[in-house]
Amino acid sequence: MRRGFRQLTTSGWLLMALLLIATADTRAQNPLSASTAASFTVDLQVKLTVSATTLTFPNSDPDSVPQIPASEGPVTITANARNEGTNQIILSVQASDDLRSVLNVIPISALTWTATGTGFTGGTMSTSTARTAASWSTSGSYTGTMSFLLANSWNYPVGNYGTMLTYTLSTP
Amino acid sequence: MKKVLITLIAVLAFAGTVTFAATDTKTVSVSATVSATAKLAISAATLTFPDADPDTTPSISPTEGALTITAKGKTSAAGNITLVVNADGPLTSGTDTIGISNLTWTAAGAGYVAGTMNTSDQSVGSWTGSGNYAGTQSYLLANSWTYVTGSYSATLTYTLTAP
Repeated sequence: MRRGFRQLTTSGWLLMALLLIATADTRAQNPLSASTAASFTVDLQVKLTVSATTLTFPNSDPDSVPQIPASEGPVTITANARNEGTNQIILSVQASDDLRSVLNVIPISALTWTATGTGFTGGTMSTSTARTAASWSTSGSYTGTMSFLLANSWNYPVGNYGTMLTYTLSTP
Repeated sequence: MKKVLITLIAVLAFAGTVTFAATDTKTVSVSATVSATAKLAISAATLTFPDADPDTTPSISPTEGALTITAKGKTSAAGNITLVVNADGPLTSGTDTIGISNLTWTAAGAGYVAGTMNTSDQSVGSWTGSGNYAGTQSYLLANSWTYVTGSYSATLTYTLTAP
């Protein structure tokens, strides 16, 4: 009987050892949970692309070409913007001066445009006021075209006329 | 705790005064060319003077009536646009002629002037600067019992110049 107990005890010790090892292994395979905070900041951002850096209006017969289109064709505009809440995204355009050739002037109001694309609108150029070319209320990427026309006239003095247009894409 | 509270208040105050905005700009250069150009339109290609009694019709009007002339030109601001006319010779029928100076005209419209036909250029109108200038010419042919019978003709050439 004493001999059997010793055998049982040994087996028991062995079983206990095995249980401990298993337990130890289990504890090693179940590490403590950890957490980390992740954050991503979306800032206000705008990016404007205009397909042409020049607009050229050639000489034409006012009788057959009362409205002169730009030689470059329609200008493609891409406006990428992130706004905040319901703040409007505005694309505006303004001329620095009338079309000028030394002392001779063609009023900038002779320059108009039609537009295609969501949010884009036609208008008449101005030096005093930035004209709205497009507007949107949500963040996104917007593409449209602007087709410029210069009113022709027999009254224009001969010359090479020029001015600059500034496009501004903004969101408050 | 006090330190944390003060920091939090400062952050809130700062956030309340900041105006967020984003802007991007692009420029485009615009050019337009206006070149010297002249364009002339005359309402009739022929002038017909019928036979008439010189006693009752000392000056014969053409059956086409007054000519309407439209002179369009683009020039410098001080440029002089001119319209002239000349004849290729006398009114001729075979070997018979009627002096071209027997053909005269009166005019109406800004810049248009009256004159007497000649084989050299005679002014019909002149203007300063670009524009669209319309007027009329009313021709008269002096009648005479001394004219030899025949069918007479001449060619008139108009020249519009916009320097």
